[in-house]
Amino acid sequence: MNLQGIVIQVLSGISTGMVIFLIAVGLSLVFGTLRILNLAHGALYMLGAYLCYWISALITQNAGGFWWALLLAPIGVALFGGLVEIVLLRRIYDREHLDQYLLTFALVLIIGDLCKLAWGVEYHLVPAPWPFQGPIFVLGMPFPSYNIFLIACGPLVFIGLWALIRYTRLGKIIRAMTYNREMANALGTNVPRVYTVVFMLGCWLAGLGGTLVVPTASAMPGMDMIVLIECFIIIVIGGLGSLSGAFLGSLIFGLVNAFGILVAPRLAVAFVFILMIVVLIIRPWGLMGEPE
Amino acid sequence: MRPSTGNTEKSNLLMIGLILALVVFLALPAFISEGWISLVNEMLILALAACGLNLMLGYAGMVSFGPAGFYAVGAYATALILINTKLPFALAFAAGPLIAGLSAIIIGWFCVRLTQVYFALLTLAFAQIIHTIIFEWYGFTKGDNGIVDIPIPQILKSITHYYYFSFIIIVLSLILLWLIIKSPFGKTLQAMRENAQRAESIGINVRLYQLSTFVLSGFFLGIAGSLFCGFNKNVFPNYAHWGKSTEMLVVCLLGGIYNFFGPIVGSIVYLFLDKVITAHTQYWPLVLGLIIIILLLFLRGGIAGFIAERLTFRQRRGESAE
Amino acid sequence: MFRVEKLVKTFGGLMAVTQVSFTLEKGEISSIIGPNGAGKTTLFNLLTGHLKPDSGTVHFKDRDITALSPHRICRSGIGRSFQKTNIFPRLTAFDNVQVALMAWQKKTRNVIQRADRFFQKETQDILDSLGLGDKKEKTAGLLAHGDQRLLEIGITLGTFPELILLDEPTAGMSPEESYKTMELIQQIVRSRNLTLLFIEHDMNIVFGISEKVRVMHFGAIIAEGTPEAIRANDQVQKIYLAEEL
Repeated sequence: MNLQGIVIQVLSGISTGMVIFLIAVGLSLVFGTLRILNLAHGALYMLGAYLCYWISALITQNAGGFWWALLLAPIGVALFGGLVEIVLLRRIYDREHLDQYLLTFALVLIIGDLCKLAWGVEYHLVPAPWPFQGPIFVLGMPFPSYNIFLIACGPLVFIGLWALIRYTRLGKIIRAMTYNREMANALGTNVPRVYTVVFMLGCWLAGLGGTLVVPTASAMPGMDMIVLIECFIIIVIGGLGSLSGAFLGSLIFGLVNAFGILVAPRLAVAFVFILMIVVLIIRPWGLMGEPE
Repeated sequence: MRPSTGNTEKSNLLMIGLILALVVFLALPAFISEGWISLVNEMLILALAACGLNLMLGYAGMVSFGPAGFYAVGAYATALILINTKLPFALAFAAGPLIAGLSAIIIGWFCVRLTQVYFALLTLAFAQIIHTIIFEWYGFTKGDNGIVDIPIPQILKSITHYYYFSFIIIVLSLILLWLIIKSPFGKTLQAMRENAQRAESIGINVRLYQLSTFVLSGFFLGIAGSLFCGFNKNVFPNYAHWGKSTEMLVVCLLGGIYNFFGPIVGSIVYLFLDKVITAHTQYWPLVLGLIIIILLLFLRGGIAGFIAERLTFRQRRGESAE
Repeated sequence: MFRVEKLVKTFGGLMAVTQVSFTLEKGEISSIIGPNGAGKTTLFNLLTGHLKPDSGTVHFKDRDITALSPHRICRSGIGRSFQKTNIFPRLTAFDNVQVALMAWQKKTRNVIQRADRFFQKETQDILDSLGLGDKKEKTAGLLAHGDQRLLEIGITLGTFPELILLDEPTAGMSPEESYKTMELIQQIVRSRNLTLLFIEHDMNIVFGISEKVRVMHFGAIIAEGTPEAIRANDQVQKIYLAEEL
């Protein structure tokens, strides 16, 4: 394994990590604030991917349509999520965990079939958008320039979210709710509205992740659960409810996965699970989380 | 200390219902085609798996995302022994739940150190690892080809005969589960579910009891797995897949987790609906999703819970009329 | 019989319990009072194993029980009730108490016999002594608040403790209910020859039955003595007056 190969693997792992960061952070945010593990988060990601394909194909035949999709698809998912939150989720906030899991799982089933209904079971690819259509050369080896774009997106979103949480009123409320729910209630925040907004933000992030992933991996059935389980691993490693934890966890996940595939491709999928188990046993609240 | 008349009436009704059900299930093969016998057999096996899961879920309040792991361990243990050795079927069959129970001790020891979401995620992780091991260890488990044409004794090869064999095993297992639930141990589990902290302060080592429940659950899931191995004569890695786990959870919800018969009712209704609806549309998941939502919002005790409530209501009305 | 020595607990920078020491004699009925946030419940949590102290020891009948887990502390003969009602909501009142009895008698490992057979009489006795005898089949979560507080105590009694720690047993009750409840508790404690230490917020209730009163403030015991002495204590007056303001 030469140096170039390793560098390419590292870049590959980072770009995977950055995309999944977008999705995992949404799940983590929703859990931290609403205390619900949204099993439908992966399905929302998938919805984003399908919407991306649809909008791209609709708006223009060439790759320029992608940028419109990048703008509109996440918003579409966020709106859908908002509707779901208002109509369904609100009724189960004080129910037991099992009921919450089952309701969000029901959404997985429904969203999955709705996507199947609308877009069939074939894989839908969208070409990489201009100007990221060709490869760039790293140490002489080609690497998709689109993936470099993906690598840039991660920190961009991280900074955006960090600024949101640190400097805006919503961010302060999110922080309050993550750490002390009763206090937040007592401070007179309009809790239902905050829940809706945060949930929509989480959905927007999931949709964003789904949109960004389509040029590399295509929209297809089953992508929802694969990514969901990957998100579980990440937020466990990083810490439920932690922004930097999601970032760190995604990075670790991307790299472990990339090197796992290199080293022992058939068992690569188990590496990340083993990592998750180790973290759950030694430090259940994750690398950046706080013990409750 | 005599139970009130209401309770005796309820238990009489229950006894009658159970005997009727037993008679129906025993006589069924005489009236229906082999295809339907097969389906009922599948329902009963799923019912046992779900009841095993419900010991943890409904009675001890432990939400697990990975019951399919132990189900698969049971199935594969039996399959591997039958394929690779000349040991008698009875031994191979008994090995399923035993090995499942043993793996539950190891996995459970790690899992019960956590609670709630973390517990659920850890059980999922372990089940996925079991799935990966089965899937990738081609040399031992034949990977995603699965193990096919598993030899079972001649006498059990007929669908009807296997049905009766399953039925006996399942009824015995359910009786055992019933005893466990009605015992002091069972009451303790429920107390733990209601308030783990309080249970701890009255002298119950909650972690130990949770581990015991986990192992018992794994054991019964293993029985179901072994039964299904003999039923299907094939085993596949997807027996350990999260899809199977969610199926068991949905079945429990459908029937009602706070009722002993809930998972049984749930399995029957679920597989029946599955068969009927997939015959008419390929969008069974959509329908199932809608059903789950309706159940969660309007029929909170599940089907069995709903029935039990109706019966108590009618009984109370009867009492006040006296 | 019960000796607490220099118990300390800090959370971050906050000293919740500072150098608390006291002893209880067998059969003593005493109380701890103090304004909100004085550290009373934290102290109880330290005594019953729900929190680990940073330093200090707790001895019960000359056995060191510091930092044992809650279920072991219960086994050693200490029972506790909680400030927030801590019952088993979906079980019947009967089951609530019976499960405590079964736990105490180590019957909970029994997986074969019917639970109904065990401790029918003893459970009924406890429920009767609390005035809940006729409510035994009711779902605990649906009982009136006052009855739930009594059931809370019933669960504690089910483990036949020699020392009972009650955390604000009359929380949320009306004054008449509170007096009745405290009288009931006094009766039970005397008839079973138990030692009782309870936390209370309302000084008037305390003075009715407590032989000795300890006052906590900012994590420390600042006064200890008979009810009359405490009532006359200037410092205590200041604390409670300040709180009223």
